[in-house]
Amino acid sequence: MTPTKRLGAALSAFALLIAGCGSPGAPVDPAPVGSVERPQPANAAVENDVEGGGSIDTSCDPTASLSPNGSIQSGSTMDEIQKRGYLSVGVDQNTFLFGFRNPTTGALEGFDIDIAREVAREIFGDPNAVQFRAITSAQRIPALQNGDVDIVVRTFSITCERLEDIAFSTVYYVAGQKVLVDKHSTVKGIQDLGGKRVCAAKESTSLKNIAAADPKPVPVSVDDWSDCLVMLQQGQVEAVSTDDTILAGMAEQDPTVKIVGERFTDELYGIGVPKENEDMVRFVNAVLERVRGGAWQQSYNRWLLDRLGPASPPAPNYQ
Amino acid sequence: MTSTVTPRGPGVPAPPGQPVPPEEPRGQRSGLAWLLELPGNAVRGIARSAATSPGRLSLIATGLIVLALLTGVIGTVSVQNRANTIDDLIDHREPLAASAQEVYRSLSDADATAASAFLSTGAEPPELRERYELDIATAGAALARAASDSGGVAEAARQVEILSQQLPVYTGLIETARANNRQGFPAGAAYLREASELMRAKILPAAQELYEIDTDRLVEEQDDATGVPWLTALLVLGLLGALIATQIYLKRKTNRVFNVGLVVATIAVGIAILWSAAALTVQSVLVSSGSSDGTEQSDLLVRARIAALQARADETLTLVARGGGESYQEEYAQLMGQLVGEDGNGGLLGEAADRSAGLPSAGHVDSAVTHATAWREAHGQLRELDGSGNYDGAVQMAIDGSQDRTAAAAFNRLDRELAAAIESGRQSFLDDTTNASRALVLLAPGFAVLAVIAALGTTLGIRERLREYR
Repeated sequence: MTPTKRLGAALSAFALLIAGCGSPGAPVDPAPVGSVERPQPANAAVENDVEGGGSIDTSCDPTASLSPNGSIQSGSTMDEIQKRGYLSVGVDQNTFLFGFRNPTTGALEGFDIDIAREVAREIFGDPNAVQFRAITSAQRIPALQNGDVDIVVRTFSITCERLEDIAFSTVYYVAGQKVLVDKHSTVKGIQDLGGKRVCAAKESTSLKNIAAADPKPVPVSVDDWSDCLVMLQQGQVEAVSTDDTILAGMAEQDPTVKIVGERFTDELYGIGVPKENEDMVRFVNAVLERVRGGAWQQSYNRWLLDRLGPASPPAPNYQ
Repeated sequence: MTSTVTPRGPGVPAPPGQPVPPEEPRGQRSGLAWLLELPGNAVRGIARSAATSPGRLSLIATGLIVLALLTGVIGTVSVQNRANTIDDLIDHREPLAASAQEVYRSLSDADATAASAFLSTGAEPPELRERYELDIATAGAALARAASDSGGVAEAARQVEILSQQLPVYTGLIETARANNRQGFPAGAAYLREASELMRAKILPAAQELYEIDTDRLVEEQDDATGVPWLTALLVLGLLGALIATQIYLKRKTNRVFNVGLVVATIAVGIAILWSAAALTVQSVLVSSGSSDGTEQSDLLVRARIAALQARADETLTLVARGGGESYQEEYAQLMGQLVGEDGNGGLLGEAADRSAGLPSAGHVDSAVTHATAWREAHGQLRELDGSGNYDGAVQMAIDGSQDRTAAAAFNRLDRELAAAIESGRQSFLDDTTNASRALVLLAPGFAVLAVIAALGTTLGIRERLREYR
C-alpha cells in the first residue's frame, strides 16, 4: 500500500495548494440592476434627420391671405357647416394657456379655444356650437386634408411649406421661439445647446428650427407639448425650445424652470383651412377682423397678459 | 477489504459474454485486482449453483425477491411522486397561475380606472380612487405570490423582475399626474399618458407573458399527473409473469400444484396491479376533467377577460385623446371581435359558452355574452354621441356606472360575470383534482406492503421446497 499512500499525500498537498492560492471571490450580488430605463411619453424619439427650414424659410410672403368676406351663401362651406349644426375644430388639449383641458371642469380653454369659439359664434350665433377634436401637432395638416375638421386653431405657424398643402387665415398672433431650461441651468439660449437633447413636438416648426440651430442640438420629438415638460421635469431632456407662448404655459406649471434667450424666430399663428375652401378662408378672415376689435384683447388679457406683458393684435395683410 | 464474494449474493451482475479471467494464485493481490475479478467470480459462483437443482431454486428465489422489492420501491416512489404532483397542482401551480392572472387583471383595471378618473371632472370620485388603490394593492400582493415561485424558470423570473421594477414607477407617474391635475395643469394628462404607455408597452406584456408561462407549467404538470407509469407497469407485470412461471416450473419439477407461499405472493401482486390500475385510472380521469372543465375553461375565460379589460381601457383612452384616438378605437373593435366575434356569438366567449354546457359556469358565461353584446351597443351609442359633438354625453356614457344603460355599467356587469365564471372554473379544477388526490390515498404504502408480502411469500414458498433437498 505504500505507493497508494504516497499518491494520497501528493494529492492532499496539491489540494491544499489550490485552496490556499484561490481567493474566496466577492459576495454574490443578489439582484444586480445595472441601469434603469426611464419611462418615456408614447412615441418619444430622437430625430436625427429633420430638415431645417421651418419658419425661417422666406421663399414667399406667409402673411398674405385672401380678403375677408363674412357672408354665408347657400352651397358654401359655411352653409354646409350650418346644416350640420356644429363647427368642427382641431385644437390642442395639452398646451396650457392656448388650448388645454381644464381638469376641474373638463372643458377646453385657452386663447386658441376662444378664437375658435368666435368663428362658431359668427356662423351659429352660439360660441358653444363647436365640436373640438384634440389633435397632435403632426395631425394638423392631415386632419384638414382628410376633412376631419373644418378649421385648425392650434398654435399653427404659417410657413411657405405648409401653404403648399393647406390655406391659412391672416395672422392672429405673432410668437417667437425661445428656450426653456431648468432654473439652475447655465444655458443662455439655443446657441448653448449644441449636442444636448432638446424637446419639441413632432412636425412642428420649432423642431425644424432646433435642427437648423448651430451648433446643432439633438432634437427629441414628442406628440404633445406637455410631453416636453414631462421630459424636462424627469431630466430626460436638457431644454424645451418652442414659441414663447407655449413656454410661458409650461413655466406657469412649474416654478423650477425659466425661459431664456431672445426670440430667434417669428412664428405667425394663423387658422388652418383646407386648401380648396377659399370661401372659408375669407369668412375666417372676416371673423378675425371683428375679433381684432375687442374679443382678441379680452382673451389676451385673460390668458397671456400676466405672463407675456401687454400686446395688441397684429395687423392683417391681404393679397 | 477482506470479504469474499458469496456465491449466491446479489453482487454485481456479470455482463453476459464476459470472458472468464484466468486463475491467479490467491495471496498478495491488491484490492484493485480483487475488484476487477469480482464479476468473474460472481459469474463462476452463479454458474456453479445453477448446475444443481437447489442452487437453481435459490437463484430463482433471489431473483424473485429482488424483483419484488425493486418493484415495491419503484412503484411506491412513483405513486408517491404522482400524489405529490397532484397536491402540488392544488397547493401551488393553480394558485400561481391564478395570481399571475390576478396581476394582469388588477393592473389592466388600474390603467382603465386611472383614465376614467382623469375623464371625470372636479374632485376625483372616491369610488374610482378606491378601485385604483385596491387594484394596485391586489397587483402587489399577487405579484409577490407569483414571484415566490419564479426562481426555477428564467423566463418567468425575468417577467417578475420587469413587473417588480416598473410597478412602483407606474404608481409614481400616476401620483405625479394626480398632483398636476389637482392644480389644473395639463401636464397631469401628459403624466397620465406616460404612465399608460408604460403600462401598455412594458408592464402588461410582462404580466401576460407571466400568466402564459404559469398556465403552461400548470398544463405540463397536469399531463405529468395523467401519464401511464410505464416502468412500474413493466416491473409489476414482469413480477407477476415471473411468479407464475416459477410456479409452473415447480409444478413440473415436484408435481405439486400449489405452493402456498408463491400463491400468496401472486395474489398480493395481483391485488397491487388491480388496485393501482383502478386508482390511477380514476385519478387520471379526474385530473383530465379538472384540466378540461377547470383549467382550460378558466384559461379561455381569463383570455376573454383580458380582452375585455383592454377594450375597456381603449374605450376610455379614446375619450381621453378627445378626437385623436383612432388607434384606440380600432383596437377596441379588434378586441371586441376577439371577445364575442363579429356576429356577437363567436370569439372567446362563444367558445367558452360552447364548452361550458353542463358545467356550473354555464349561467355566468351566458350572461357574460349578453352583457358583452349590451356593452358593444352602449359603446356604439357612445361613439355616436362623441361623433356628433356631444363629448360630455359620451364621457358620461363611458364612466357613469350608476346609470343602467351606460357602457361603464355594461362593462362592470360583464366583468363581474366573467370573474364568477373564472371562479367557477377554478372550483371545478379544485373539486376534480382533490378527488383525484383522494383516489391515491393509501396506494403508495399499500403498494409497498403488497410488494413486501410478495417477497416474503416467495421466500417462504421456496424455502419449503429447498428443505426437501436436505
